Amino acid sequence: MADPRGFLKAGRQGAKARPVAERVKDWNEVYPDPGIGKTLLPIITKQAGRCMDCGIPFCHSGCPLGNLIPEWNDLVWRDDWHEASERLHATNNFPEFTGRLCPAPCEAACVVDIADDPVTIKNVEVAIIDKAFDEGWVAPQPPERLTDRTVAVIGSGPAGLAVAQQLTRAGHTVAVYERADRVGGLLRYGIPEFKMEKRHVDRRLDQMRAEGTIFRTGVEVGESLTGEELKSRYDAVVLAVGATAARDLPMPGRELDGVHQAMEYLPQANRVALGESVPGQITAEGKHVIIIGGGDTGADCLGTAHRQGAASVTQLEIMPEPPDSRADATPWPTYPVMLRTSSAHEEGGERVYSVSTQEFLGDDEGRVRALRLVEVRMGEKGFEPVEGTERELPAELVLFAMGFVGPERSPLLEQLAVELDGRGNIVRDDAYETSVPGVFAAGDAGRGQSLIVWAIAEGRACAAAVDRWLTGADRLPAPVAPTDRPLVV
Amino acid sequence: MVRGLYDVAGGGAALTRRLDEICNEVSKAIDNGARIIVLSDRHSDAIQAPIPSLLLTSAVHHHLVREKTRTLVGLVVEAGDVREVHHVALLIGYGAAAVNPYLAMESVEDLARRGTLLADTSPEDAVANLIKSLGKGVLKVMSKMGVSTVASYTGAQIFEAIGLAQDVVDKYFTGTTSRLGGIGLDIMAEEVRRRHVRAYPPGGVAAAHRTLEVGGEYQWRREGEYHLFDPETVFRLQHSTRSGRYDVFKQYTGRVNEQSKRLMTLRGLFSFKEGARPPVPIEEVEPVESIVRRFSTGAMSYGSISREAHETLAIAMNRLGGKSNTGEGGEDTDRLYDPERRSAVKQVASGRFGVTSEYLTNADDIQIKMAQGAKPGEGGQLPGNKVWPWVATTRHSTPGVGLISPPPHHDIYSIEDLAQLIHDLKNANPRARIHVKLVAEVGVGTVAAGVSKAHSDVVLISGHDGGTGAAPLTSLKHAGGPWELGLAETQQTLLLNGLRDRIVVQTDGQLKTGRDVVIAALLGAEEFGFSTAPLVVSGCVMMRVCHLDTCPVGIATQNPELRKRYTGQADFVVNFFEYIAEEVREYLAELGFRSLDEAIGHAEMLDTNEAVDHWKAAGLDLSPLLHVPELADGASRHQVVVQDHGLEKALDNQLISLATDALENREPVRAQVEVRNVNRTVGTMLGHEITKRFGGEGLPDDTVDITLVGSAGQSFGAFVPRGVTLRLEGDANDYLAKGLSGGRVILRPDRSASFVAEENVVTGNVTAYGATGGELFIRGKAGERFCVRNSGVTAVVEGVGDHACEYMTGGAAVILGPTGRNIAAGMSGGVTYVLDLDPSLVNPGMVELEEITAEESERLRGIVTKHRDETGSAVAETLLADWDHTAGRFSKIMPRDFKRVLAAKAAAERDGRDVDEAIMEAAHG
Repeated sequence: MADPRGFLKAGRQGAKARPVAERVKDWNEVYPDPGIGKTLLPIITKQAGRCMDCGIPFCHSGCPLGNLIPEWNDLVWRDDWHEASERLHATNNFPEFTGRLCPAPCEAACVVDIADDPVTIKNVEVAIIDKAFDEGWVAPQPPERLTDRTVAVIGSGPAGLAVAQQLTRAGHTVAVYERADRVGGLLRYGIPEFKMEKRHVDRRLDQMRAEGTIFRTGVEVGESLTGEELKSRYDAVVLAVGATAARDLPMPGRELDGVHQAMEYLPQANRVALGESVPGQITAEGKHVIIIGGGDTGADCLGTAHRQGAASVTQLEIMPEPPDSRADATPWPTYPVMLRTSSAHEEGGERVYSVSTQEFLGDDEGRVRALRLVEVRMGEKGFEPVEGTERELPAELVLFAMGFVGPERSPLLEQLAVELDGRGNIVRDDAYETSVPGVFAAGDAGRGQSLIVWAIAEGRACAAAVDRWLTGADRLPAPVAPTDRPLVV
Repeated sequence: MVRGLYDVAGGGAALTRRLDEICNEVSKAIDNGARIIVLSDRHSDAIQAPIPSLLLTSAVHHHLVREKTRTLVGLVVEAGDVREVHHVALLIGYGAAAVNPYLAMESVEDLARRGTLLADTSPEDAVANLIKSLGKGVLKVMSKMGVSTVASYTGAQIFEAIGLAQDVVDKYFTGTTSRLGGIGLDIMAEEVRRRHVRAYPPGGVAAAHRTLEVGGEYQWRREGEYHLFDPETVFRLQHSTRSGRYDVFKQYTGRVNEQSKRLMTLRGLFSFKEGARPPVPIEEVEPVESIVRRFSTGAMSYGSISREAHETLAIAMNRLGGKSNTGEGGEDTDRLYDPERRSAVKQVASGRFGVTSEYLTNADDIQIKMAQGAKPGEGGQLPGNKVWPWVATTRHSTPGVGLISPPPHHDIYSIEDLAQLIHDLKNANPRARIHVKLVAEVGVGTVAAGVSKAHSDVVLISGHDGGTGAAPLTSLKHAGGPWELGLAETQQTLLLNGLRDRIVVQTDGQLKTGRDVVIAALLGAEEFGFSTAPLVVSGCVMMRVCHLDTCPVGIATQNPELRKRYTGQADFVVNFFEYIAEEVREYLAELGFRSLDEAIGHAEMLDTNEAVDHWKAAGLDLSPLLHVPELADGASRHQVVVQDHGLEKALDNQLISLATDALENREPVRAQVEVRNVNRTVGTMLGHEITKRFGGEGLPDDTVDITLVGSAGQSFGAFVPRGVTLRLEGDANDYLAKGLSGGRVILRPDRSASFVAEENVVTGNVTAYGATGGELFIRGKAGERFCVRNSGVTAVVEGVGDHACEYMTGGAAVILGPTGRNIAAGMSGGVTYVLDLDPSLVNPGMVELEEITAEESERLRGIVTKHRDETGSAVAETLLADWDHTAGRFSKIMPRDFKRVLAAKAAAERDGRDVDEAIMEAAHG
């Protein structure tokens, strides 16, 4: 194990981000050059040494991927980075994504967290993978032999990519279809550059191409290629289309100019950040911005708006302000309800809790100028407005970041006639197979909106199921079942 | 050289065929003059898979035994599947003369080359270390089984198989006990195939980045071995008992019971015969309050776990009316008399730490630990860095000095000796129930019958899966059997021999749910012990670092910083036991029992017919566990009468009445009585009466001063407290002054004896074993094992046999004559002075020899003077006559650890520093 007394000798220490004043002027990741991994190297050995190598590693259970966290903490502590990278890849296809984007349920479950601050697991992960790329250890892993089986994967988000990489490496011929012009799904256009630079996606895609995965971008399956055609061309089809139907707020004034879904706003900003020009771009520049929704997407909007030069940014949340530390209702090792301050929150903006939007108010030209809200409290039948607390906030750009309700009702789903559940998610059996034989579903499309780490875990598990369906053999690891959910009280 | 490979595609049939061929090949080789046979599984490939090395070895071994050619050859086993101590032990136990674990050796070489091992370990060192540790491990296993030489262990087959089909055993493991049937060669071949396919995957494509499986044998891993305590069960158990939510508790038990069915326990394979009796309304079932009285917590010593954790369990059990257990570590006086924090069960184990008259007098139950479920056959060790000053005080030892509990009780070498100890302890506290704790294994029923005949009030059948993270890994996994087997055997044996009605049967070993308790009751248990589960309730998260003093939840540590992290509360533990009892009630109602008493021993209410849903479970036959012997009319399936300990015949009744003035008015009493060797355990009950009235302080020295004339029986003067002086004129049997607790015992030959005292043995073996205080003067020689585990007595003797002062932790032994060998083995405290010592007889492992100082010379002169005065010793007289010269003939045996701590203490006192801190600093190095 790592140092048995390590957790007694050192406190938790994270990577130091660049000063706010500097980083809001560019789109790069918030950590100094040459990136978070290298920034961490001077401290990470000691941090990894805080791992207690538990008899029951709750981190390893808290991680949907089943990352072998105690193993690679130990290996980092022993300076065996190459083996650490191997162990990391044993359960995770894309640690450079999760090491940057995952909200780290592992750390919430870390046993050190019971009486102290948890091990910086996510930082250890990103330090390993950045070093592995730097050292050239992340080499393509093409299969030694090909099977004669073909698989179509629809959607190139983390679930789709994980399915594709696993099945390609198992010897199947895999084509990934993406309706956008570039591969990556939410990773590409949903995640702002300051959280993860897109070069990390490109680097991984290079590996996948070298392994033999085929990518078809700009193809809206269901239109140029029908579900029937897909089924006839491929031995198996995996739907990894995500849960991209965003929750709406159909209050009066919704139609006003300047009221947008986050996912209309963020992709444009991402394109511009990468040097494209977007005519008629929705931008926060010089505007009073209101973000509705207090989650990660809201924080992404927040950081983006600041970088675009917003006049002010306010984030509204209907829930009450969470406690500074773990709420009683979410005891260790569950993922806690607590106040989270992301890098974007450090950069400014105001967070307003326990409020609900009543109306969007427009000017004469049909542009939004303000938003009327009311304070709410939890009543017997959900949130109830508190009388006399209505007020107006100036708002020239309103962004909805209230989560996603499920997959979009697309022609593809209709053509394939896959069964949907009451929430509109695609129904799967224990083996990720939909109601249509040979058609599988992975990621948010089946699970509903979730975390990137669940998407990768589903992708890996679905790949194992597809491989078994195609070959009858049990070769690939399956970290989660479709019905698995995070541990809660 | 014989290849232990077979055609894997051919399955069990191919395996059987190949084993037959191999046996023939070996026979032919012997005919052709071969005298060493190498069984090798090297060169396996995509078609040929290795035969499991144990099957291969034992098959050949038994074939040759049957052919009567076995002694002509030696078997050398070269196998890739050998990597643990247990594997080597099995191979040797089934006939291998030499083992080459080539793959394990190559693996550690590789690890060393890659630098994953300690930086300065070369590949050669790594291999040497592996061989050394495997060798030492096998020695340890042998010692646990009481075998001294590899020659005796080879082919000795002291193993029990669980889950092996009888025809397989008969043919390949002839003579091995396998009570429940199980798998045949088909299933073994299937297991081989599954491993083989990982090395040679179909289609030739292996998963990327997946080299070796994670295993998860000792630490839980998602893809690894199942464990009953996994993240979810730990969480649900902690959360339910902390938030008082029975609904969450049911989620916990639901998951444990379900896990159990995945072949993790035998009880997981049972189902209840519901409907065999009409259910009863739950209101008619005995209440929670009466069920919880049958519960106890396991023996975990104060020292191994923190004061906070230890007291939490005690407080909870006292509130419930159940019983907590001191473990082998004594109990602080402030807890001894605190009805809230005391532990009702006082354990007496081989180390006898803190076992005084006071400790025993204040017990409800006294438990003799013959073995421990987590590590049967082994002793214990509290490393020096856990012996903080407060722990040392409780244990009558020295802070910072490690403590060893020896594997055996030095006063038990036979069932008669055990009966004697039971009798001693009963005398030390006639109101207490005496327990004997055994570990489930083949034959435990016979031992339990002996224990019942030896008048134990309770017998505890402990399962093999005790939880301490401090136990050696070979023991955690491979020693002892499940309680289901041991309990069923015990119940059946006791019933058959008409011994069941006089003894309470208790069981423990990973009891976690109400279902576990009810199954144990149906198999014959009437009381139930829990250890791991209540610790988990108290915050344990199964770190398995109990031996490192780094427990992050403040349980298995004495470090004050870590203890601050402790979050357990007695209320949580109370909730746990009440929830368990509630579940028990629910099951009883369903099964149609109104009380546990009604249910005990009704094994016929368990069913094993339910198809066991596992590919390896097909051949199991659990029906032997469920057999209920035919009972005579009126025979009870549980305890109904109390044991007859025969205390009314004790000489002590006379002594107590003679001592009335002392007992009632603290007045001095002088008396002289005759003693015979039928008078066992003399003075102990008298001592108990004094301790009961006057506490641990006892009475002033010599208040009760009794001279006894004659030949004393065993355990003369056992546990005698301060205030009692027993002068024996004659001789004594074994166990003189066992556990002496402040009293004085003086032995001299009969005044009319014509022999020379110092040339004769006047007392038997194991004198002053586990004594904690007082004085002992013996004119004449003592037998073997003098002053073993002495922690406070000043003892003088005129010659000893072998193994004197073994494991001593305190006090002083003065030996004025010849000694046997192996003096001071494992001695970590106290000091021994020997006249004209032959240094070659000292075990130098933990001690060194010193000259005595002038100061010590004076002290010694005082002791020798007293010896002369009390016993009329001629040896002492001669020495004192010319002390200035004779003092130089003494050697001092000094434990190194003890010396280091004394030095640290002296330095701290000199510098005005905190003495405790200085000591622990020295201990932590």
